[in-house]
Amino acid sequence: MAVTVRIPTPLRSLTKGQEQVSAEGGTVRAVIENLEQKHPGMKERLLDDKGIRRFVNVYLGDEDVRFLAGLDTPLQAGAEISIIPAIAGG
Amino acid sequence: MPVSNWRVLLVGLGGLGCPAALALVRAGVGVLQLCDDDQVDEANLHRQILYGSGDVGADKLSAAEQALGPCARRSGTRIELVRSRFLPENARALAHGVDLVIEGADNFATKFLAADACHLESRPVVHGAGLRWLGTAWSVAPAGRPCYRCLFEDVPAEPQANCDAVGVMGPVVGIVGALMAELGLRSLSAGGRRNELWTLDGKADTLREVPVSARPSCPLCGSRPSIREIEEARYLPAAGASA
Repeated sequence: MAVTVRIPTPLRSLTKGQEQVSAEGGTVRAVIENLEQKHPGMKERLLDDKGIRRFVNVYLGDEDVRFLAGLDTPLQAGAEISIIPAIAGG
Repeated sequence: MPVSNWRVLLVGLGGLGCPAALALVRAGVGVLQLCDDDQVDEANLHRQILYGSGDVGADKLSAAEQALGPCARRSGTRIELVRSRFLPENARALAHGVDLVIEGADNFATKFLAADACHLESRPVVHGAGLRWLGTAWSVAPAGRPCYRCLFEDVPAEPQANCDAVGVMGPVVGIVGALMAELGLRSLSAGGRRNELWTLDGKADTLREVPVSARPSCPLCGSRPSIREIEEARYLPAAGASA
């Protein structure tokens, strides 16, 4: 099942500058695995051994997946996933 | 409360703080406290719009006070200078002394410190950040839920990208700084605030509103908070505000 993933600028070096990419998977976890295959290095930037990194927020539509089922959140075809990292700077 | 009675603390006079300061002074806030201890560097000039080439090497507070002076006199804003970083030892007192904190620090330690101090002192805070082409701004209510720790949890242990290493686009922080001022003005106005995180993608020219949810286990605003005071060790390894 295909979903769209919006990539924030700090991670676009992994997607050759693409601001959104297509990925396959029935859960958030599967999509991240698919992203890793297509864009190596993505998984490490999103996950640590405890799950989604504390400094990264993954949204399904307008919902933070932490408040859904986390990495096991089921996805519908055409879903939009957004990645919002914490940043500091100015 | 009329704008002219507001006391606002601005943490960090960098790319975010400069446009935010201009907007707040022009809006006519009663007192604007500026908190920073950095000096103007030539590399700052493309985005830190209160400073010119003649200010390189000068302390930011003096240069900013001079730049804001004419506007402040017209609007009746009193500029107060806090010649220090925003640190664990002064954070709560500084937050307590104002009606609103605008935080544009360039490091995570200061962001978490501002979040904690404002929560403990029941002061609203607006957090802002900018890096490369990405900017974020978020307004948190007094002792509000959700808070910064609901979203980002804790100071990162590992080094993170910063302005020196990866750069920041001047127009991005210009927009975000102005947005921070707007969120701050709205937070103290009738009609108040919403729990929205604004993200600006300067490359795609998109500004998105992302709802933020409170985290039940949040150590600051959750049902069993563990952060009840400011402990310096919590803000290591890189506490200190500059921008």
